[in-house]
Amino acid sequence: MNEFFIRLSRIDRRYIFLFVAVSVIIPLLYPLHYPTRVTRHTRAVFDIVDQIPPDSNPILISFEYGPSTMPECHPMAYAILRHSFARKVRVIGITLSADATGLGEEAMQTIAREYDREYGRDYVFLGYKPGVTAVMLSIGEDLKRTFPRDYYGRPTSEIPMLVEVHNYEQIPLVIPLTGSATATFWLIYAGARYHARVADGVTAVMASELYAYLQTKQLSGMLAGLKGAAEYEHLVRSAGYTLSEGRASRGMDALSTLHLVIILFIILGNIGFFLSRRAAGKGPRS
Amino acid sequence: MIPMNTLWTWIAALLTLAIFSFLYKDNPFYKFAEHLFVGVSAAYALVLTYYNSFIPNLIFPVFREHNYWFLIPGLLGLLFFARFIPRIRFLVLLPIAFYIGGYAGISIGPSLQARLLKQLQGSMLNPADFADPWMFVNKVIVLVGILGTMLYFYFSREHKGVLKAATNIGIWFIMVGFGAAFGYTVMARASLLIGRVQFLLMDWLHLIR
Repeated sequence: MNEFFIRLSRIDRRYIFLFVAVSVIIPLLYPLHYPTRVTRHTRAVFDIVDQIPPDSNPILISFEYGPSTMPECHPMAYAILRHSFARKVRVIGITLSADATGLGEEAMQTIAREYDREYGRDYVFLGYKPGVTAVMLSIGEDLKRTFPRDYYGRPTSEIPMLVEVHNYEQIPLVIPLTGSATATFWLIYAGARYHARVADGVTAVMASELYAYLQTKQLSGMLAGLKGAAEYEHLVRSAGYTLSEGRASRGMDALSTLHLVIILFIILGNIGFFLSRRAAGKGPRS
Repeated sequence: MIPMNTLWTWIAALLTLAIFSFLYKDNPFYKFAEHLFVGVSAAYALVLTYYNSFIPNLIFPVFREHNYWFLIPGLLGLLFFARFIPRIRFLVLLPIAFYIGGYAGISIGPSLQARLLKQLQGSMLNPADFADPWMFVNKVIVLVGILGTMLYFYFSREHKGVLKAATNIGIWFIMVGFGAAFGYTVMARASLLIGRVQFLLMDWLHLIR
């Protein structure tokens, strides 16, 4: 028995990759429908968007993710846009990461078509602006001076939904969707400096760092990784704003199964590690 | 005639498989996909920055609006290239100094407010916390965690006696923090894999809808 665990702990890693692949593919092909439990931080973001009056001041979504973090952040963008457009909440889209430009535009156009929203009246995409912190601070002074033209070259001063929008004071919520440290920058430069209300949608890697800011209420809410995106999709669907099941919700079955497989391998690996040390005549620590 | 969407999906799928082939072992397909990605990313960022920053922030103001003040930051930016000319290499210090000075001035105030003062305020116990027993327990845990962790990084005195007990508590909190961060990292990486597999099964092979 001991020999079995020791040999298992030395298994070729490619077999582990194979197990991982199977544990992802099977639940995607045959969904297990694990229940979705919504965390209060995701619900907080949903509630804020849900309480913004239709056709009033717009929320600002900053797309700051590239193809490498797309599986986590793109479903968040879709879910938040579905929620906003279904409730006729106006949206300003910007990007602070060059990679995100195409993804942000695609998300806004796709969901706007789904809900028959009109460009310039219900939503606007201002495109990419380099500078990160400089852009965040500049929006606090004057949005239209920061973005003189939208992504398509139209002067922002001529866009109807931006006529009354000058800075963060007219923006009820800022939602950066990001896989980088800009999640913290927003709460420092837009939140602390200009008192903007900030809720982050971040990759899971970033999430643990941001809990401290949720505790002090500097962040109004947070969507954490694929799980956060699936929770938001669940809330949007439960509220009747959409009938479609998002990609994050479909991915959660695979994620949960994969986590179980990884936990199993960690346990087996540790048993093998301790048994091999014992066989070599060493204690658990040396 | 193959529709463009289908063509791009096939290209993306084959490149995804080329990258995944590294899991078996390094090979020319992986190398090709990796180099292609680096090249395309760099070119994409360069072109976007040119059209979204250089043109609207320098070319338009100077040549269309005749606002020549914009030449000053333009010149400062140009000095970054001075490092390639040995005789005037020292001039690169000018834009760097300007950038560091400006950035420090901009960020010290808000960073102090958000990262230190607000966080300190959040970790303090106040009379309102005693009203809700659960909130009180949470706040005490946060306070013990902060004090223990800060004492762990106090190196001006040997960690023994009461200080050792306190730093041990700090180590536990640090380990829990690392564990949470690592767990989230595993989740993030797994999510990326799921995203790619979804693309292959849904958009490429149409095995799921």
